[in-house]
Amino acid sequence: ECGHISLPASTVRLGDSITASCTISPNCSHLGSEAQILWKLGTELGPGERQRRLADGSQESTITLPPLQHPRALLSCCLRWENTLQILDQAELWAGYPPAAPHNLSCLMNLTTNSLICQWEPGPNNHLPTNFTLKSFKSRGNCQTQEDSVLNCVPQDGESRCSIPRKHLQLYQSMGIWVQAENALGTGKSPQLCLVPMDVVKLEPPTLWAPAPSPEVAPPQPGCLLLHWELWKPSLYIDQKCELRHQPQLGEASWTLVGPLLSQTLQYELCGLLPSTAYTLQMRCIRWPLPGRWSNWSPSLILTTAQQ
Amino acid sequence: PLGPASSLPQSFLLKCLEQVRKVQADGAALQERLCTTHKLCHPEELMLLGHALGIPQPSLSSCSSQALQLTGCLHQLHSGLFLYQGLLKALAGISPELAPTLDVLQLDVTDFAINIWQQMEDLGMAPAVQPTQATMPTFTSAFQRRAGGTLVASNLRSFLEVAHRALRHFAKP
Repeated sequence: ECGHISLPASTVRLGDSITASCTISPNCSHLGSEAQILWKLGTELGPGERQRRLADGSQESTITLPPLQHPRALLSCCLRWENTLQILDQAELWAGYPPAAPHNLSCLMNLTTNSLICQWEPGPNNHLPTNFTLKSFKSRGNCQTQEDSVLNCVPQDGESRCSIPRKHLQLYQSMGIWVQAENALGTGKSPQLCLVPMDVVKLEPPTLWAPAPSPEVAPPQPGCLLLHWELWKPSLYIDQKCELRHQPQLGEASWTLVGPLLSQTLQYELCGLLPSTAYTLQMRCIRWPLPGRWSNWSPSLILTTAQQ
Repeated sequence: PLGPASSLPQSFLLKCLEQVRKVQADGAALQERLCTTHKLCHPEELMLLGHALGIPQPSLSSCSSQALQLTGCLHQLHSGLFLYQGLLKALAGISPELAPTLDVLQLDVTDFAINIWQQMEDLGMAPAVQPTQATMPTFTSAFQRRAGGTLVASNLRSFLEVAHRALRHFAKP
């Protein structure tokens, strides 16, 4: 090895400075014993503060770099040789900040993927390669005691979300969850959530439609509409309540909310509407009376009320 | 004689009822797949084999309407679910097509057993020592695992019906 750069650390805080040394071994042949070691930082080239000859005949140069202002820099240890600048070793310098604590951690139990999906805000850019890990443990009540820990969830590169698969979950037990951010300068931890996976279940919306006209079913009154809905099949085992919203297709009309509607009603007559008017209708449902999260609104159904 | 409804927390009972329905749905999915994939649609055709295999059936005598008794019923519910946890585990390797359905069923049965155990602990009703799993039947062929799966799923359905009735009674305000 001809030349070697030694650094106390390859990562420092932005604005900090660092002292480096470069040692040129005597067997880096055909060099004059007093060859001057030069340093190159980015495009800046210059000698170190001090150069000395070591007992074994090698030369050592030491330099204290100016406060680093860029997240990444290349530091080279060079020598002049036959009118050329020879690079003998190179070190990559990183500069940034310890990771901020991730925040706004929230989770939803997804029954389609059968996984607990958590997402968070990573916080400001700290300019350094940073690893995020979703950590959790099984617990009771308000997560004061830690029972079994759960396998760490490592998000895909650059993503601020992670999915904990069903086999690592106990759907009806409390679990403590937090996000840990880690880079070369430190660690940041989000506040810990304490949740029961099923209590953050978000259902898929119900299917809303109008029953086909049939002799057994009287047509709706003027200003009324007949509706039908069906719960999302994978959630049939869950007691739910739903709500409906409707909006006449007239200029900037606002939504009107109707609810709660029991999830098991087969047919519903919505009245109090304008006659012979087209309405946009949507429905959503939520686990109830046990806790849950509202589904998204269903795709719109457009129906027109009968004439007066 | 049906005594007054229980002193169990309402949220616990609502969760249990939801878990019963969830496990029932999982069990029905397993039965349906055993029927469509392997033409094992009628457990009654497998009674002889079932006796030979020695598939145990847990008792829910304290949950029956004739002798409904809260502590005893919870204990039997947990022991039964714990037994089914073992039985479902013993069915591992049932078939590639059925494995995902079996895994979900086992996870949900395990969750249900843990939920009941923790509630018993919270109420000071839990035995000092966690139960140990009884000896499980040995299924020596793929067919025996599928036949065993058909019988276990059918028995589990009956078990859950009794459990559901008892829990609904306990949940009555």
